[in-house]
Amino acid sequence: MRSLEPLTWILITCLRSSSRVSYNMAARVLQQCVRSLARPSLGLFPVNLALRAAVAPAVTVHRPFSFAADSRRMRWLGQSRISSVELLCRQYGDLPPLTLETIKDRVMYVLKLYDKINPEKIQATSHFMKDLGLDSLDQVEIIMAMEDEFGFEIPDAEAEKLMTPEEIIQYIADKKDVYE
Amino acid sequence: MSSRLPPAALSLKQFLQRQKVLAVYRNIFRTIRQVPDEADRKYLRDWAREEFKRNKNATNQDVIRMMISQASNHLEELQKSLALAKS
Repeated sequence: MRSLEPLTWILITCLRSSSRVSYNMAARVLQQCVRSLARPSLGLFPVNLALRAAVAPAVTVHRPFSFAADSRRMRWLGQSRISSVELLCRQYGDLPPLTLETIKDRVMYVLKLYDKINPEKIQATSHFMKDLGLDSLDQVEIIMAMEDEFGFEIPDAEAEKLMTPEEIIQYIADKKDVYE
Repeated sequence: MSSRLPPAALSLKQFLQRQKVLAVYRNIFRTIRQVPDEADRKYLRDWAREEFKRNKNATNQDVIRMMISQASNHLEELQKSLALAKS
């Protein structure tokens, strides 16, 4: 059983039911799956070719150029059979995984950039108010800078408790499920 | 606005007021983030910092309340201008 079959089945049923939304979505999914295949192993059923050709007019509005490139690529490589294992490689875009080390580096980097903190004196355990002489307004600014750096919001109640870089690192590791 | 940790504990009302001040400060910064230009953002951040720091040592509760409402008005104005600019 080739793993592309479910997708072509979806496409066929959508064509039959002629429901625009799922048709486009299925076409896009199929297109993406095909595009994600490794180039040398690309080859499809003749049925698929017919379907792709049928899909072409609907999808031309969205991405005409890349679709033409895909169909050209398919014709060149012929109709070689693909192994189902290679069809299963999906590629998603994401950031590199967070570790405690990287979180610590980023937190300390942001703190060193803050103009009210002396970069030599700051350590992981230095308290903002007692050791570094900052006040609560500065602490709010620091937590906002951390929100900007890591891209997620920290609610007020928890933000006002974070008084040392170590606590910030622990909190972020908690929220991001980094192994503790 | 008593921002430094005072040696004596704050009364409940003072504590709540302090929380309000910090909440307004935080909301102002969050709104400033949405301003499109980087130079404008820096200017607004410095302005907000200046305003809050200047009145840091006020102790009269009514004065503090008035300043909190002033800050909220500024915040609302900023939000309205941003909404207008986006549409």
